[in-house]
Amino acid sequence: MTLKKKARSRFVRFIGKKLREDTPTLQVYSRDMADLPSLVSIFFKNKPDGVILVNTVEDIQTIYAIANETKTPITQRGAGTAGLGGSITYNGGLVIDTKGIEQKFFFDPLEQTVTVNPSYVFSDLQRELKLQGLSLCAYPSSYHSATIGGWIAHGGHGIGSAQYGGALDQIVELEVVLPTGHLVKYTEKDHISLFVGSHGTLGTITEVTLKVKFDIPLKHQGCTFDSPEELVRGLKDLSLTFPYSVWFLNPKHVALFNETFGYNLPNRYVAIISKEVSFEEEEQEFNRIFNNAIRNSGGQILDRRYTEDIWKFRFRSLSMLKHCSDYVVSEVILPIENSDKYLRKLITKFKGNIHLEGEFISPTHYALLMYILSDEKMSPLKKTLLNLKLYNVSLKSKKVKGHPYSTGLWFAGYYSQIYGKDEFRRYKEFKKSVDPKNISNPGKVLSPKIRFFPVVSLKFAVKLASRLML
Amino acid sequence: MSSSTDWQVDVLEYAQKCIYCGYCSLCPTYKELKWEIYHPRGILEQIKLYFDEGTKEKTKLEASKTLFDAIFACTMCKACENICLVDIPLLKIWEQVRQESFKKGRWNPLMLSLYNKVRDTHNIFGLPPDERLTWAKLKGLVMTRRVKKKAPLAYFIGCQASYSGKMSEIAPSVVTILRKTKTNFTILGNDEWCCASPIFLAGGYSVGKNFAKHNLEELKKLGVKRLVTACSGCYRTFKIVYPRVLGDSWDIEVLHISELANELIKEGKIKFKKQFKEKITFKDPCELVRHCGLIEAPREVINSISNVRFEELPSNKEEALCCGGGGLLKLNNSELVDNVNTKLMAEIKYSEANIVVNGCPTCLDTIQSGVRKEDLDIEVIDISELILRAMGEKK
Repeated sequence: MTLKKKARSRFVRFIGKKLREDTPTLQVYSRDMADLPSLVSIFFKNKPDGVILVNTVEDIQTIYAIANETKTPITQRGAGTAGLGGSITYNGGLVIDTKGIEQKFFFDPLEQTVTVNPSYVFSDLQRELKLQGLSLCAYPSSYHSATIGGWIAHGGHGIGSAQYGGALDQIVELEVVLPTGHLVKYTEKDHISLFVGSHGTLGTITEVTLKVKFDIPLKHQGCTFDSPEELVRGLKDLSLTFPYSVWFLNPKHVALFNETFGYNLPNRYVAIISKEVSFEEEEQEFNRIFNNAIRNSGGQILDRRYTEDIWKFRFRSLSMLKHCSDYVVSEVILPIENSDKYLRKLITKFKGNIHLEGEFISPTHYALLMYILSDEKMSPLKKTLLNLKLYNVSLKSKKVKGHPYSTGLWFAGYYSQIYGKDEFRRYKEFKKSVDPKNISNPGKVLSPKIRFFPVVSLKFAVKLASRLML
Repeated sequence: MSSSTDWQVDVLEYAQKCIYCGYCSLCPTYKELKWEIYHPRGILEQIKLYFDEGTKEKTKLEASKTLFDAIFACTMCKACENICLVDIPLLKIWEQVRQESFKKGRWNPLMLSLYNKVRDTHNIFGLPPDERLTWAKLKGLVMTRRVKKKAPLAYFIGCQASYSGKMSEIAPSVVTILRKTKTNFTILGNDEWCCASPIFLAGGYSVGKNFAKHNLEELKKLGVKRLVTACSGCYRTFKIVYPRVLGDSWDIEVLHISELANELIKEGKIKFKKQFKEKITFKDPCELVRHCGLIEAPREVINSISNVRFEELPSNKEEALCCGGGGLLKLNNSELVDNVNTKLMAEIKYSEANIVVNGCPTCLDTIQSGVRKEDLDIEVIDISELILRAMGEKK
């Protein structure tokens, strides 16, 4: 689908130079962090027909008005750093880059909130907050590049979520341009929850008010475990320390960590526990509970000299990808309880060649990143097969009451599994009322039909392919 | 000596290594221009399009327009390369794409003019080489006994300090420091050629190499073992580019004036007599801090001044903001330089410093223009001038 002549002329007339249609621009905006095999173009068109750099709320309202009139799909993009396909087009149309929205930073010291535009990058916001002695409550591990808006749209969990919750727990107010063109401010959790994890399908976020906290120093402790069973037992006990963050790696990933950053960590499951500590007694209490937790679970305490330094590499874990020529990634959310079986199966399925990295997102759940690395550039077929295999195991997390991290494009159709049936019903009703023509990021959250055979849904096709081909 | 092939990297291979993590979004010019075609990862994506043999000619032509535009909108501050998670040598790639742009005749006229001036007159201003020591005459300094004298240390003045009226305090300050500390030093005088930093930044390998060879020969004739400069551009070129171009034959130790001053302070040869009432901050030049890793020496020098009120800028050391003046951006998009500089000016205002100390003539010029533009009561000086003032040799 290329932009229809009438639609194009309308956009050019009202948007002017903010619209670009040259091949290099379209190419740059046709991908996110997931490096997709060329075969996927059978299923959808990831190259947009145009890109608009929006500067104001009025720009977005104008775009929605024309898009509704001409039935042009609109896909919002922040930093494009996730790998779920949420910010790439499913069937062409226009990408609207929200980076152009003028930077706003308003700090309310009494309420301890900060109001920013969605294109703020986490590290920039954190720098501003630190000047006031404050800090973000939680942030993604892609802190140096991810934007606030993109994080919310993807369902927002991250470092600090164990203590402060995800995006939903931190948003005080959300300003959104609905696909109808209305600018609305939401403060009720019931409303805000619809926009968290909905990938811009219900509108475009234009302003966010977030809770912030005092910048309390973190104390880190580290421990190691022998097996997935011991790890899960340890994670359960560690959640009793009310940590700010628990980050763990499987032995395969530890080996790569050692190679990348010059460490000599034991070839076991390694977990780093971080807790906000304001005074000495608090630190002693943390140490006491931590020691007990490790003793009970059968783990071993890691030398503290390691743990202080490891935190520095917390945001550089993707550096490990430099050792490989190709990779495939997926992410799931798992309950700590019973997840050892899933971890064990995962390792068996990939014959130990899977890299795992987990982060607590609540006292009971963690997000698990799964990487398959390859020493050589994979053929498109091999990469597609591996993607499908990982897709398949991500879905199998359901057996232990887990689910994919977010929907995006790849897991479109799994909204109810992630957020529950009631929430899905509310989502569908709201979508119908604000975007009846389905112009706001179509193909995401709700499974679209596949490109060349539009009677079959993408969800069904990919699921079937993942079962048959494997 | 290295050949031009050693200079080159496989741009396409490196472009394919990019994992699209977007960490390089801290690029100061991308933050202003906002389109992802100016994002370092976006430039790599365009490189794939342009350099891939399978790309159609029409697409290549289209890609060349945006790619060459984006590649010259870079200040070469190296923030992207330093944060890159998969160690892509981005600056080497940019230099090579700039070279490609030259081959295709796509440089802007101002850049071409600078290139020709440096090539023909051996300085960036296109002024006669025999005017290289005019700064000394204007300050009443007699340099005849220093010019081309055999000495273990040479002071490389650089084009900006030699010719620019705006930088007229730098060279006299350095020379006075060296004289007052009884340091045996020499200068190349009219035989000093531009270090060729702008040539290398533009991707001109072979012309730049001639400059490097000339400067090395002149320095060797005088038996120079150490070279000091107050220009961070020259420092980076001598420290990083010359060894790449000349190989092992470049065996001269390179020092920034802050490093030499620090040494002289430790040896007790520099004694600070004056105290400053003003609050002082230091802006790390990208070429010192990110390219060469020079962080502590300027700070140690400043903190050696007794009772100094030194305050770091909010973004400092490796995370220092770029002033926008580097990478030949002034020639390609001066408006963009001002926009990038605005963020730095905001940090300078936040620090409430009365004096901004710097170690780079290009930063000095850009910050000074920002100060004028915003009508601020802030003095911007080179570190050599601060040292001289603290020594009580200058008001």
